[in-house]
Amino acid sequence: MAYNSRFNLIYLFILTVFVAGFSACSDSERKLPIYGERDTVTKTVDGKEVVDTIYNTIPPFSFVNQEGDTVSEKLVEGKIYVTDFFFTTCPTICPVMKRQMIKVFNDIKGKPDVMILSHSIDPEHDTPQVLKKYAQDLGVEGSQWQFLTGQKEKIYEIGQKSYLSTAKEDKSAEGGYIHSGAFILVDKEKHVRGMYDGTTEEGTQKLIADIKTLQEEYNTK
Amino acid sequence: MIKQAAAFMALCVLASCQNAEELKSEQYFVEGYHLYTANCSNCHQPDGKGMSNLYPPLAGSKKLADRSGIACIIRNGMKGTILVNGKEFNRPMPANAKLTEIEIAEIVSYVSMKWGKDSLYTPITYVQNALQNCKPD
Repeated sequence: MAYNSRFNLIYLFILTVFVAGFSACSDSERKLPIYGERDTVTKTVDGKEVVDTIYNTIPPFSFVNQEGDTVSEKLVEGKIYVTDFFFTTCPTICPVMKRQMIKVFNDIKGKPDVMILSHSIDPEHDTPQVLKKYAQDLGVEGSQWQFLTGQKEKIYEIGQKSYLSTAKEDKSAEGGYIHSGAFILVDKEKHVRGMYDGTTEEGTQKLIADIKTLQEEYNTK
Repeated sequence: MIKQAAAFMALCVLASCQNAEELKSEQYFVEGYHLYTANCSNCHQPDGKGMSNLYPPLAGSKKLADRSGIACIIRNGMKGTILVNGKEFNRPMPANAKLTEIEIAEIVSYVSMKWGKDSLYTPITYVQNALQNCKPD
């Protein structure tokens, strides 16, 4: 009997969560999750113990864009951005990712609080000039979509540790690098809020929808 | 009666002979389609139209008429500036050392039947011959 009532309680709880979830959706208050490892710290505020969660946060960075300008985390201050990892001579998934990213780009065009940062994982070859030509050939103009190059170790480090994406050299891989086909969505507080398969239409459309959800979060704040 | 049956049989053989060529073309086309999807379509796109100014189209390209040249490009890749359908492209295409002669024949068959003027497949012997005579880059 005790077991049974506990079971019912769990059942009721799940049901409540579901209902709450649905009503949250309809109120367009659906929130995207925050990805990555998290820590908690206990602080004392006004004599009371408070537990704070520290989320995975994108650290400061310094890279060079396709115009040859040095850019830092200030570039995306107060902005939502999408990021990915690629290289211009990649024969495999990059062309597919870029074709999909163009769809994202067309959707966010002109929105001042959304950007795209594409990191090259072959920075020795992908100089700012090479990236500039690539962007032009892709048909990308303006500064809303930036192509970044820089110190290889720094790019790999921020990719793996902060953006939770795979990016590294591998001579046995076609093109010489392995990297994930992920598009990563980052919010204004520099938290990763979504990871999408950038090689599929489904992943791309989910990202486009989630960007709007995230914008909505800030609008209703 | 026997004569009629023989004539009918002969007709059947003739028809199946013709069908054998067509059947082979269809096989090459289907295999070629899969190989194209796996090896080429990332850049040249499933519809053969290429991608902006990065990767040239195959559809409408005059280069498709030169099947030996296509076989060489698939095997060895290419670099330098080319003009396709009035647009310049200059990104290198990687070599495909892993593709076998039969696979190259199937891809050549697919692209030349799909976007070129060919209605029949390109035999493996044709590709073998072409690959032996590729011009150095």
